[in-house]
Amino acid sequence: MSSPSPVKLMSASGQLGYGVLKPAFERGLRHEPHMIGADMGSVDPGPAYLGMGKMATDPGMTRRDLAMLLEGARSLGVPLIIGTAGTAGAAPHLDAVLAIVRDIASERGLSFKLASIRADIPKDRVLRAQRAGELTPLGAFPAASEADIQESPYIVAQMDEAPMVAALEGGADVVIAGRACDTAIYTTVAMMRGHGRGLATHMAKIIECASLCCDPGGRDSMLATLDTEGFTLDCMNPDRHATPTSVAAHALYEQGDPFTVREPSGELDLSKAIYTALDEHRVRVSGASWRDTAPSLKLEAAAPAGFRSVFFAGTSDPRVIARIDQIWTEVRAVVADLTGEDANAFLRARFYGLNGVVNWPAPPDPLPREIGIVVECIAPTREQAQSVITVTKQYFLHHGFPGRLSTAGNLAFPFTPPEVEVGPAWRFSLHHVMPVADAAELQDLFPITYEDL
Amino acid sequence: MTDNLQKPRPLADVARIIRSKNAGPGLLTIDLFFNTGSDYNAAIAAEGLQAEAVAARYGLSANRLRVIPYPLARAIKITMDRLIIAGSPGDNDVYGAQQHALLLDVDIPEGNTP
Repeated sequence: MSSPSPVKLMSASGQLGYGVLKPAFERGLRHEPHMIGADMGSVDPGPAYLGMGKMATDPGMTRRDLAMLLEGARSLGVPLIIGTAGTAGAAPHLDAVLAIVRDIASERGLSFKLASIRADIPKDRVLRAQRAGELTPLGAFPAASEADIQESPYIVAQMDEAPMVAALEGGADVVIAGRACDTAIYTTVAMMRGHGRGLATHMAKIIECASLCCDPGGRDSMLATLDTEGFTLDCMNPDRHATPTSVAAHALYEQGDPFTVREPSGELDLSKAIYTALDEHRVRVSGASWRDTAPSLKLEAAAPAGFRSVFFAGTSDPRVIARIDQIWTEVRAVVADLTGEDANAFLRARFYGLNGVVNWPAPPDPLPREIGIVVECIAPTREQAQSVITVTKQYFLHHGFPGRLSTAGNLAFPFTPPEVEVGPAWRFSLHHVMPVADAAELQDLFPITYEDL
Repeated sequence: MTDNLQKPRPLADVARIIRSKNAGPGLLTIDLFFNTGSDYNAAIAAEGLQAEAVAARYGLSANRLRVIPYPLARAIKITMDRLIIAGSPGDNDVYGAQQHALLLDVDIPEGNTP
């Protein structure tokens, strides 16, 4: 078997929907890449988007970005692969992105074969693993309970490239995937062309964030050229340079371990990775290796945590600031007595200027002259949350304490009404690894649908 | 004691970048980047950046935190379990992007000059 020829892959965006920068994207097209990819996924914004089935990005900007990528890929006649559609990659996210894609195709007269890949894992499959004690929590997550699974509207898993390879082999021009490993977007075409998994996965891991690996970092399209010995990184914005240090440093970004990347069918080992400058703008990377492991999937789900109401306030009174913890303890006691919500309601105050961001071991000295206050209640119903926050606001405003100077009110409200009903609160219920039977299940759990547009 | 004995410097004056972020919703990861090899080596050796000392600052037991030197980028990575899962009730920082400040005043003793 002859060795595979070099393959060129272009990452148009690491966060599709926030605005793909046109000059670098168009420069990338002139290099005639063999595929164009973009990631849409992120767990950074928290559990609400997965739980609610909503996108974090603006619909208008998402549509603009998708149109630019669809037209670019069709003009070259190369595959376009979008990973983790609609922020979280569950059914409603995927459906929302597919609707936009169909609309763009019809509006612009684009004709192509579209493959969509679902990443929703059936609850009975997850429950089976949970009952067998097979779900391994990641980081600080506790063991998964049956309630964690039953209460979550959507459970997704990160697919690897296997379903995407199947979609392209099935004739797809455009692949819109639900929840996916960000690397799969780029390993798909590399591996179909016979390239090794270690180098392909390392390349994918770097370019999936587009030009974030450069100095200065940015959001411009990134081109990678992969051969059998390594790969070359070339930013499509001439002012952002890939340097050995900037690319090596990118292995740290949002990664718990800079030397190991866990994927569904194995582990990427970066401990022997080498980064060399080709010139002032481009870097050559080699040395990554791959170890097969028993196949597994990373599950993600979010469950409702009640209903949230908040109010915002501030204070400039030095006596209130000096004894804010005691005032808050006393106000809480009054509220619990009045509303009877003590057992159910999660009532919490953040005092910005003192401890709103970080759990400091001691208050600042001297104390600040103003503090900002956010009080939050999460209760089983929206009515309870709103009731608790309204009573809390009023008693906090008028709470009397010895030596009080400002007897007409402790708080300044920046607007009215000061109480804000936020809506459902969410929590990540699953962030667990589930073993799967074999490579076939790793593909079968992600069904593909084709349509001709 | 001599006059030219240098005082330890705070980490904020030694590091080029001090950043924190989630590594998935259950983990917080902090990256420290240094300009020079001697700053990097001084930080690696600093008592206040050993796992036990950092864990104490973040209210964790040392077995829930790892300090990983990354010489390729003259960087130190600190990865720890979150006390509260990102975005769950009680969390103060959904992205984990502002949890670096507890390290700013860690003393970095002057490294050995080669």
